[in-house]
Amino acid sequence: MTDVSWAKPKGAQKRKRSERVKFIAAGLIILVAVLILLISGTLQGARYFITVDELLSDAAYQGRTVRIAGAVDGESIDYDSERAIIRFEIVNIPNEYEDLATALREALLDKNARRLKIVVEDAAIPDLLQHEAQAILTGALGRDGVFAATELLLKCPSRFEESTAPEGLSRIPEHQ
Amino acid sequence: MTAEIGLAALALAFALAVYAIAASAWGARKAAAGLMLSGRNAALLVFPAVLLATGCLVSALMTEQYQLAYVYSVTDPQTPAIYRFTALWGAQKGSLLLWSLLMSAFTSAAIGLNWRVERRLMPYAVAFMMATLAFFLGLSLFVENPFERWWILPDAPPAEQVISTVLIPPRAIAPSEANLRAGAEGLNPLLRHFGMVIHPPMLYLGFVGFTIPFAFAMSALASGDLSTGWIRATRRWSLIAWICLSAGLILGGRWAYDVLGWGGYWGWDPVENAAFLPWLMGTAFIHSVMIQEKRGMLKLWNMLLVIATFSAVMFGTFATRSGVIESVHSFARSQVGFPMLAFWAAMTFVALATLLWRWRRGELRDEHQFANLLSRESMFVLNNVVFIALFLAIFWGSFGLPITSELLLGVEVTIGAETFEFYVVPLFIAMYVLMGLAPLSAWGATSARRLGAALKAPLAFTAMSIGALALSGTSLVVAILGYGVALFAGFVALFEIYRGARARRRSLGEGWLRAVGALFGRNQRRYGGYIVHLGVTVIGIGVVASTVFQTETQHTIARGDTINVLDYSLRYDDFTRAQAVDGRMMNIAAVTVYRAGEEIARLRPRIDDYPQMPMKIAGAHSTLENDFYVLLMSGDRERATFRIYVNPLVNLVWWGGILLVIGTVIAAYPKVAK
Repeated sequence: MTDVSWAKPKGAQKRKRSERVKFIAAGLIILVAVLILLISGTLQGARYFITVDELLSDAAYQGRTVRIAGAVDGESIDYDSERAIIRFEIVNIPNEYEDLATALREALLDKNARRLKIVVEDAAIPDLLQHEAQAILTGALGRDGVFAATELLLKCPSRFEESTAPEGLSRIPEHQ
Repeated sequence: MTAEIGLAALALAFALAVYAIAASAWGARKAAAGLMLSGRNAALLVFPAVLLATGCLVSALMTEQYQLAYVYSVTDPQTPAIYRFTALWGAQKGSLLLWSLLMSAFTSAAIGLNWRVERRLMPYAVAFMMATLAFFLGLSLFVENPFERWWILPDAPPAEQVISTVLIPPRAIAPSEANLRAGAEGLNPLLRHFGMVIHPPMLYLGFVGFTIPFAFAMSALASGDLSTGWIRATRRWSLIAWICLSAGLILGGRWAYDVLGWGGYWGWDPVENAAFLPWLMGTAFIHSVMIQEKRGMLKLWNMLLVIATFSAVMFGTFATRSGVIESVHSFARSQVGFPMLAFWAAMTFVALATLLWRWRRGELRDEHQFANLLSRESMFVLNNVVFIALFLAIFWGSFGLPITSELLLGVEVTIGAETFEFYVVPLFIAMYVLMGLAPLSAWGATSARRLGAALKAPLAFTAMSIGALALSGTSLVVAILGYGVALFAGFVALFEIYRGARARRRSLGEGWLRAVGALFGRNQRRYGGYIVHLGVTVIGIGVVASTVFQTETQHTIARGDTINVLDYSLRYDDFTRAQAVDGRMMNIAAVTVYRAGEEIARLRPRIDDYPQMPMKIAGAHSTLENDFYVLLMSGDRERATFRIYVNPLVNLVWWGGILLVIGTVIAAYPKVAK
């Protein structure tokens, strides 16, 4: 390096070193602060994302805030618009499935699948809340066996995904 | 015929892209000019080929060729022409083709603009751009082909009689036109909104835009030309990509606000977050490249950032397209999941390995060292740290935690919106503070006293504004803090513009308007950047106000009765049912909105009955101060239920977005040659 010829006094080198220490210290402080933020947030806000079956089979989940997913039974939907309370039932969808649309349809046809009553208070009824939608709910199972949800998300795969085998088309050979 | 032409064009585009990779890379390696030229020409031809393929798909959509499975799945005979066109990006297959089209357009432009100037960089850059493009074209061709058609196999067992394939199977019969028309599914009603018309292409433009700086950076690493050439060549591309990504995110928020009917615009949904992640990395990148240009520092860091931005783009595309968000299991069965994951991992690995190789040879050494904690370069580094912390927090919450917990514990652990807010609020506060401090600090070194002196005026204005807010009744600490930091950053930007103009007035005797104009003309980047900062301030104020002070209520009333919210009241006047041109029934409530006793608006919130679902269309009275936003929940002629949101200053979010775009355009606008 050429800075030898400048013959910087020792003080400059010292200053350089002390700046470096400052940088490292600042970096460490930021790193630790961000880690604390992430860890404390995660510990506070982490929710198990489980199935209806798992929720109902393990008493330890009762009263704890969890996230669950299930298939919406369209006939059970009841909206009390005066008090803004939504009630409906969801049916267990197994953890593993081929595709969501089929899993939802099959779950609702299965007479033995476990069901869970849901109540959501002070909520606008979402457009997507309908038969064969997948409901993802955050809330807690009460002693009365009703799941009080504070957050409701919905997915309707059957309605929008590209269809794999449209039933209407197969009738064609007979028509022709 | 349209399908055949489209398919042939798609295959040709793929072949050209693959050839261009080989010819360019080999040509560059062997310094064979002819081969490099041939690679370039092949790369330039990809765009017309993809354009032809896309044109075929659009033409099939417009002319209702429902035998194409894609057309069948996203349109129906009732779909209006505009949504026939936008159905091009209404589902996976079309979206992927659009991705390739935009990518090939950007690639052609980048080759056209830079070929002469950046001779050394171009061949490898072409190879990297074509590698990305070839991958997406390959996905369209082999996995998600938009030109598949429905066929009936009379000899097959009943359950397998109807299939969709790319090539015509032997002895297949085409389904009848009438049945195809009757069965066609129509575009998702949620996507029928101007925000959805522009939002996906904007995001894609942002995504593909960041591929260009990545390709040039990789080319610099591969060719060994590690001067600032790659940054010079791609600075504008980064800014264009950044505008598109920003506009795409804001339009997405606007769509959610108008269509989803929950009075908000950002829900920390993994899909939203997947698009936000590249923006965060890209923002860090466009800031820190400035230090390399000015001071020759952070060479390694900038390479890492551009690789990380590209990697985030690929990850975002993968995450939203592969089903991994739905669950790890559905990802495993998604057709595009593994190829995308593999491509993402391979590109990231190759990029990092090349970087490591150059770094170990000592070719990425900085020309200056960090001398002072308060210098502008230090502030920029801190800004980078904040953006990366935001990136990590959001990535962790959306993907890291759910995926690792599922893999390690066998149970998925997720976090909700409130935890995301817990993560990001302190980080955004830090971002605004730095946004205020950085422009006041100097390159090289700043003394604390000088910084303090420069801070006086902006801090005084901030304090006065906060004082005025507190006097007018705002007492929430969160709100005061939020407004405070956002205003501080904004005042610094304004003050800097004022200071620059004042200096010109003093030394050159120009008038204010002329001085400001000259300032922007002389240093577009710097002052364009301040406009962007002002935009971010305006967005910040809008976000704080509309989040902290939102009012929400729901009531059922009889016709003629009113609901009171704050100083507004809403009277239910009438209820009608009407049929729209596309056949859907609309249930329309007519309401009159009063404020402080005066009529301010007549709104018609409604519920549209689409075959797939009902959809609530809000009625909104928008002013800069407030949005009065009303949804009809249910109703008949006698009684109706309304849900009302009053969202203060929410329009600042959109106006700030426009300001941000204008600022970036100023910064990126090519200088007029004198």
